[in-house]
Amino acid sequence: MGNEERQMQFADVNDDVVRSLTETGRSYYIALATAIFVMLACFFFPWFYQLYYGIGAAGMNHPTVWGTYLASFVFWIGLSHSGTLLSCVLHITNSEWRKAMYRSAEAMTLFSLMVAATMVMVHVGRPWFIHWALPYPNQMELWPNFRSPLMFDVMAITTYVTGSLIFIYMGSIPDFAAVRDRTTGWRHHLYVLLSLGWRGTDTEWHRLGWAYTFLAVLIIPLAVSVHSIVSWDFAMSLVPGLHQTIFAPYFVVGAIYSGTAGIVTVMYVLRKYMNFEHFITKLHFDNLGKLLLVLSLIWTYINILELFTGWFSGTSTEYEQLKYKLFGFYAPLYWEMILFCAVAPLLLISKKFRTSFVPMLILSIAINIGMYTERFLIIGATLSRQYLPNAWRVYVPSLVEISILVGSLATFITLFLLFVKIFPSVSIYEVKETMETPKSKKGDTEWQAAH
Amino acid sequence: MASSALGLFHDPDSALKAAGDLMHAGFARPELLSPIPVHGADEVLGPKKSVIKRFTFFGGIFGALAGFSLAAGTAVLYLHPTGGRPIITIPPFLIITYEMTILFGILATVLGFLISARLPAIRERLYVPEVAVDKFAVTVVCDTQDNFGRAEAILCAAGAEEVRNLNEDGS
Repeated sequence: MGNEERQMQFADVNDDVVRSLTETGRSYYIALATAIFVMLACFFFPWFYQLYYGIGAAGMNHPTVWGTYLASFVFWIGLSHSGTLLSCVLHITNSEWRKAMYRSAEAMTLFSLMVAATMVMVHVGRPWFIHWALPYPNQMELWPNFRSPLMFDVMAITTYVTGSLIFIYMGSIPDFAAVRDRTTGWRHHLYVLLSLGWRGTDTEWHRLGWAYTFLAVLIIPLAVSVHSIVSWDFAMSLVPGLHQTIFAPYFVVGAIYSGTAGIVTVMYVLRKYMNFEHFITKLHFDNLGKLLLVLSLIWTYINILELFTGWFSGTSTEYEQLKYKLFGFYAPLYWEMILFCAVAPLLLISKKFRTSFVPMLILSIAINIGMYTERFLIIGATLSRQYLPNAWRVYVPSLVEISILVGSLATFITLFLLFVKIFPSVSIYEVKETMETPKSKKGDTEWQAAH
Repeated sequence: MASSALGLFHDPDSALKAAGDLMHAGFARPELLSPIPVHGADEVLGPKKSVIKRFTFFGGIFGALAGFSLAAGTAVLYLHPTGGRPIITIPPFLIITYEMTILFGILATVLGFLISARLPAIRERLYVPEVAVDKFAVTVVCDTQDNFGRAEAILCAAGAEEVRNLNEDGS
């Protein structure tokens, strides 16, 4: 941590975090009201319109039967990948810089997963039959097919949502206790319930440390499996451009990449608007920037590999797919993706760039625009150009689909805005751990030497 | 009625010293309350064993069995032959098994944590809000007034800023 944090006292951390929960300015309410309004107008209204008039309201049709809804689903699942996953990896590797930012990153995971789940609901057209995906006895003799990657998805995402929720909650229990002591009214009752009677005894800390580490160890392979499975939704088909073995690592790297960029965006907003300058410093942006640089290079490598394997396959359908991707109708989107996700991140080589807040914010947003484009191209562009030329068709999302995409972002922002007023968005106890522990006034250590 | 002596300290080293002195003076194992995990508590108060790993392990085993049974059981009960392939197809079912292993591993870990940390607290327990901010407290059960006096002396000698006499119900 930087010098500014060293001057802070333990009590200042409690004060700052409790203040972020209890003191709410007008700008917060304006932001929340806007987010809710956009969510209702751009997400729920078009969705109800689509439910009323049928799935034809979306621009999907043969052969592009999967469109922006699933691109958004993959995007949101991807965005979820850095929060909990990164937090777990950094926890196990004892990275001190994780401590100020992991709570918000984990919340990002949770809310992206929720939004991703709603995108599936929107995509299926008749969401009132969603329970058919659950194995329960019924007179239709209808059971899910566990050989299908779609069912793998249901299992993996359910596990991931459960794991992420538990992970963020468990790490927050000591903070709920700290906030409990400082609040009144309904907030106090809420934190009494959430803190479970935590007192901070040596036994409780010991158990929490173990359980938290176990959870981290369990969640890392889980997160990797989730996006691998999402990739198999596509890779297990026989569509040229999708049927590729590289897809699982490609998706996992892409997910961590866009998730890390998402963390940079969220950190900027928290730092700027929640007054967390003391906690989220240049060091965090520097480290996240290094991580983004490495991920962008891996992502670029896999993209080159994808082109190479397509060319090396020697089949006409793969050639056609490659040609279409690089020079066809969607080519501008492809080159925009390359610019945002492979070329622009090279700026991160410069430390000055990594430690500049506004350029980092702009780059992180650009990366996520590029990553959304990637998902759109994987689904929309690939399905547009399959085997037979008479089945080729250009897919352009309808207004309903575009609106729902914008609305999904507003849903995420709404959830996040509610989160910052309920959860301590910076971990009180872990930030304290990074600070200098109070030293004995006597400087007395003979007892420890004697025993 | 048993009461407890609670000493509030400014720093973790003094609190640990007090806890060690109390143990050496023959008191029951003291409890250390702190705003952050205190390193070195195990050396002073004795090593702790956690049952959480067992919960995680057996939860994972249960999840693996449940996951495979769910997928294989479904395939056997609701036959859906495809192209002469086996009914119980191992590779896809292993994925279901894997996910369920992790799901139940996580749930069992939480259960293990709650049981071993004795949470949620049903009854009121000894607590002072200062320990959630910047103080370190050592509590020890004293069955007599004499013992309280001895505990108080030890806590003060170790550098306690304040010693309180608390009843078990937290009053």
